[in-house]
Amino acid sequence: MNENRKQILEMLAAGKITADEAERLIAAMEHEPGAAAAGDGTAKPRAKYLHVTVDAESYPGKPPTKVNIRVPMQLLRSGVRLAGLIPLQARTHVEEAMRQKGIDIDLSQIRPENLEEIVDQLQDITVDVDDDKAKVRVYAE
Amino acid sequence: MIPLLATVGWSDSKHGKHLVWIPLFLVWLVLLPLGAVLFPLMFVVGLGVRVNALRLYGVGWQILSSLRKMVIEVEDAEATFVLSVR
Repeated sequence: MNENRKQILEMLAAGKITADEAERLIAAMEHEPGAAAAGDGTAKPRAKYLHVTVDAESYPGKPPTKVNIRVPMQLLRSGVRLAGLIPLQARTHVEEAMRQKGIDIDLSQIRPENLEEIVDQLQDITVDVDDDKAKVRVYAE
Repeated sequence: MIPLLATVGWSDSKHGKHLVWIPLFLVWLVLLPLGAVLFPLMFVVGLGVRVNALRLYGVGWQILSSLRKMVIEVEDAEATFVLSVR
């Protein structure tokens, strides 16, 4: 049982809140992202970097070409905030151009919080591409 | 905090190893007056395109700050290149 839930039940037992209020508080707590994980003490540490590694064959008989890029996740979040500064006129042009390509999208519906959530979910992403000539790995750490 | 130092290193079989330290704090010191001079212009342009210049500067600062600890390494059979931002 996490600490928040225990506190709510104690308040209910002490008569400080009604059963309805306790139920609403527990429901609100469960809807908060990460609240349950924080209460359980098993929260996964937030990934700090996005790694991209590439091992590609170069010339026969030669060692492979290696590329290693480490990008702070904060850079992705900052880039997302930059997207929020796109002026309305430019957004309209972009939407029109995408519509002509067959992609019907309304950029005004995309909120910074949505993009932040996408960046947060990146910490669980792992992409492994293994080809005859190259290996690509993208992961967050 | 914005990065203050960057190192660029490269090596190849013909020219050996090289390492250059770039004092980014000097670059920011040079760019700071330029940024201050350009701010009124950007403010006016921002009014026209409905972009908040202050917010733009703020996001730019955040992007610069988040460049810290970025590393790019490329290693080939014949040459290597490393860029590290601190």
